[in-house]
Amino acid sequence: MTGFEQLVRGFSVALSWKGLLYCFIGCLWGTVVGVLPGLGPLAGMTLLLPLTFGLDPTIGIIMLTGIFYGAMYGGSTTSILVRIPGEAASVVTCIDGYEMARQGRAGPALMISAVGSFIGGTVSVLGLMFIAPPLAKVMIAIGPSVEVVLMLLALFVISIVSAGSRIKTATMVVLGLLLGTIGLDNLTGAPRFTFGSPELSGGLSFAALAIGLFGLSEILINLEKTETIKAIQPKLRDLIPRWNDVRDSAPAIGRGSVIGFIFGIIPGVSHVVSTFVSYAVEKRLSKNPEQFGKGAIAGVAGPETANNAVTGTAMIPLLALGIPSIPATALLLSALTIHGVQPGPLLLTDRPDVFWGLVASMYIGNIILLMLNLPLVGIFVNLLRIPYQWLVTAILVISIIGVYSVNSSVIDIWIMVVSGGIGYLLRKLGYEMAPLLLALVLGDRLESSFRLALTMSGGSYATFLDTASVVVLGSALGLMLLIQGLAWVFGYRKSVTDEAERA
Amino acid sequence: MADQASVTNHASAPQSPHEPASQKSLLPRVIGSRRAGLLAAGALALIGLIFGWQASRLDLGQIGLPGPGFFPLLLGALLVVFAAAIAIEGRLASSKLASSKDEPLEFGHAQVLITFAALLTVPLLFELLGAYITLGLMSAVLLVCIARVSLLLAVVSSAVGMAACWYLFGELLGVRLPIGPF
Repeated sequence: MTGFEQLVRGFSVALSWKGLLYCFIGCLWGTVVGVLPGLGPLAGMTLLLPLTFGLDPTIGIIMLTGIFYGAMYGGSTTSILVRIPGEAASVVTCIDGYEMARQGRAGPALMISAVGSFIGGTVSVLGLMFIAPPLAKVMIAIGPSVEVVLMLLALFVISIVSAGSRIKTATMVVLGLLLGTIGLDNLTGAPRFTFGSPELSGGLSFAALAIGLFGLSEILINLEKTETIKAIQPKLRDLIPRWNDVRDSAPAIGRGSVIGFIFGIIPGVSHVVSTFVSYAVEKRLSKNPEQFGKGAIAGVAGPETANNAVTGTAMIPLLALGIPSIPATALLLSALTIHGVQPGPLLLTDRPDVFWGLVASMYIGNIILLMLNLPLVGIFVNLLRIPYQWLVTAILVISIIGVYSVNSSVIDIWIMVVSGGIGYLLRKLGYEMAPLLLALVLGDRLESSFRLALTMSGGSYATFLDTASVVVLGSALGLMLLIQGLAWVFGYRKSVTDEAERA
Repeated sequence: MADQASVTNHASAPQSPHEPASQKSLLPRVIGSRRAGLLAAGALALIGLIFGWQASRLDLGQIGLPGPGFFPLLLGALLVVFAAAIAIEGRLASSKLASSKDEPLEFGHAQVLITFAALLTVPLLFELLGAYITLGLMSAVLLVCIARVSLLLAVVSSAVGMAACWYLFGELLGVRLPIGPF
């Protein structure tokens, strides 16, 4: 069956009433969690994970992925109207988006942001469709030693592209790998750090850790803040941008798509970094750089396009290699495994319905989000009227039920609460949680592949330096250094962070 | 074109973290970031040591054929090394910037402590009292203590919320939750 025929089959799944319904639910819930501060795509996906248990795996993954990219759309709304980023990737949008809203131009900012998100999202799905299948074919031919090299490279990249202290990020990677060793040893079946508890034999629950480290710690940090915020409510008729806005935004959207597309493949905090780079690029190329920070529409269009362009390309390493690059795709990996689907090179041959159904649904989801976000922006902003303490109570109840329902185990609630407390303390001290979660997901496979490769080579470490490994490592490192170099040239780290903080 | 709508997000919070009163009261406690960083590095090193010690009791295998204890032992040792590096980095930074002010970090905000305490009781009571009663109690406590609503409103809201949870999770999604003694 050709790729086109597979795509048509994928559309038949995505356009079925179930596919459309769950794609819509995912996009709607994703927008809501994107709008609400303290709830990101990861927490949003984990909360609805139990809903997918009774569903066909393709439909379940369509819904979870809808939450992922829906949150990217929703995050921009609060950045523009309230100057509070709904999620991390929307921080940069606060700078010029809120300034535009203050000048009475919230409508065009929202419209351009939605259109840019749509274009970025669509471009990245095209990339997913064309890159993932050939990449998977290459991956089938390689052995566990190259897998080890790839995973080590991913963890190395996570450590060096992090926004915070590199040594702290590397420590979180090691801690994540260490926590991943809890449970039965994959090769010998020997229990490790289970202390006789059968609930720990399968390892620590990823959903419990994800909710604790991301959702709960964020809630606890937000509870410390005491501020009254003012939202600007645009009217629907004011959404249409002027010709000048379109002219200034179009190139920014084009560049944002390319930047997001490239950064989506980099493990770690790609969606956040891509927005900073896009903003710095737009400012550098602008004829009026002094307008940036005072309501330049290119400062909204570029970053918003970039953060949505990441969503599709972030799925490439997950679906073609079985290696998640960001926490949200790590949760998708976990969800696929729960459904008995193993992401990786064999996914396209063993379960093409899952891959192509997902690709087709992402096209449809982007259209749903475009139609959903603009007319309903007033309703989404009104969600912020709910007092935060009421919201916290509801979120905690749903989180606890969600975490318990995965394994029907009280131990998972303990894991969620304790990891939430630890995550809160670590985040206050400047440690990032994303590297820990990614390392936790990769750890098990890294160790298995490492030991398997050594067994196959008769205990020779030279197996990790064979030709294929060196080619993979060399190309990936070269690409990485190039991107890092570009990022540093444009000075995204310093200048944009300073500007975001000032805003 | 734009209406300004005041949206109070955290309005009912009892105190500001930047109030000077926090210095006088017992909570929240202010700790210097360098000291807190050292404590965190110490805790991480301790975790590394515990994992390393436990791993050393497992079969380590050989260098070319590692056993189940090899990987965790290596990672435990790496964690200790990184924790030491963080501590040294912190010490060097503090000696270089001795004249600058140590960034204060506040721990122990009332709302955070209440929420965390309420959460800690949930796994203790979850199977004993059942999911809905436990979560209803937690909701009522949080609404009274952090949202500052009346007890009656908190109880009614929690009961309505639990009924909604029962219908959504129990009936529609078929999630089996413990029902306690009933």
